[in-house]
Amino acid sequence: MGENTFMGVPRDKIDWSPRIDYNKCDYCMECVDFCPHNVFEVRENEEKKLIVKNPNNCVVFCRACGKTCGPDALSFPNKSETTKAIKVIRKEMKENE
Amino acid sequence: MSNEYAILPCNGLDKCAGCISREVALKMMEQTESEILCPVLYRVTDARYNKIAEEKPLLVVDGCKTRCASKIAAEKGLKVAKKITVTEEAKNRNMEIVDGLRIGENELKLTDDIVTELLKEKEKDEMLEGKSIFPETYEYEFYQKDKFIFRLPSTGFYFNENDVWVYIVGNKARVGVTDYVQKSLSDIMFFTPPAVGSEVEQFGELGCIESGKAVFEIISPVSGKVTSINDKLVSFPEWINENPYEKGWIVELELTELEEDQDLLLDYNAYLPIMKRKVDEFHV
Repeated sequence: MGENTFMGVPRDKIDWSPRIDYNKCDYCMECVDFCPHNVFEVRENEEKKLIVKNPNNCVVFCRACGKTCGPDALSFPNKSETTKAIKVIRKEMKENE
Repeated sequence: MSNEYAILPCNGLDKCAGCISREVALKMMEQTESEILCPVLYRVTDARYNKIAEEKPLLVVDGCKTRCASKIAAEKGLKVAKKITVTEEAKNRNMEIVDGLRIGENELKLTDDIVTELLKEKEKDEMLEGKSIFPETYEYEFYQKDKFIFRLPSTGFYFNENDVWVYIVGNKARVGVTDYVQKSLSDIMFFTPPAVGSEVEQFGELGCIESGKAVFEIISPVSGKVTSINDKLVSFPEWINENPYEKGWIVELELTELEEDQDLLLDYNAYLPIMKRKVDEFHV
């Protein structure tokens, strides 16, 4: 059990991180200020001034940054799909033990 | 108790949702003895409103998730009795808010809906309290880091990796957050409960709690149907800071898939190292 697992599953096998809708994002950077896990990165000189730099730093099932987003530009994967995927991987890991 | 509030609306002219907040405030004022705190003037000079804010329960009406009104309330150290967010209210009713600033028929209907619901809720505020099947106190183990002491109940509790606990009695369960959550958020100021009667899947959302700077989504450790909420927390969210396992519990559920859910529940021995690691990282 290390910091790169969630429920015993390696974090990089779980697809969970915010998706930015660039049509809605107004680059207020509230999410960047909010997230303590260094998920986002600001790129002042590029067209997309905000990117999801470290998706695997994102806490699985956390959607808190989305709640700070005025223009509602952040979305997340479906929770029950993600739960199912985690269960499948856990089962595979158990079988391979 | 009469149905009057001190209302702090967003009133912002950035989005239509702000204009709707203002409408909601006006309608509430017309239909009750409520008074409005103009957020702009309040921000600049609060003397005009301090008395109202002190005497009446505070209703905060945020337009969107930028939560300007909530932030002003936090800045002024006000105690929030009730809080709504217009964009969330619209979402719950499957209504779209127009892009412009002018309020149309649809937005007026939304306004009326919100006001009607607010008035209804206020009426049934004094709810009957049944005898609880859950214990009032528990035994704790302690983990200390610097001057901070984290309590963790050692028996009868299950946890998920999102720092939410569940205590199960038969097919009923009580859910709340762990000491790690309340300590890392520090002073909790708002509790947004889920709807009673709503169904939640394992890892689904059971409302949120907020402190001055952060929002925490309560991620359900189990699947079930919400049978009751700790509605005292709406007025006294600080109870979560005082004891998140006892009077700071969040919701009660009727369990629907406990056997299936058990695979992804952690007991004390499995959760303790996770909490310790988080505590150690948090205070670096």
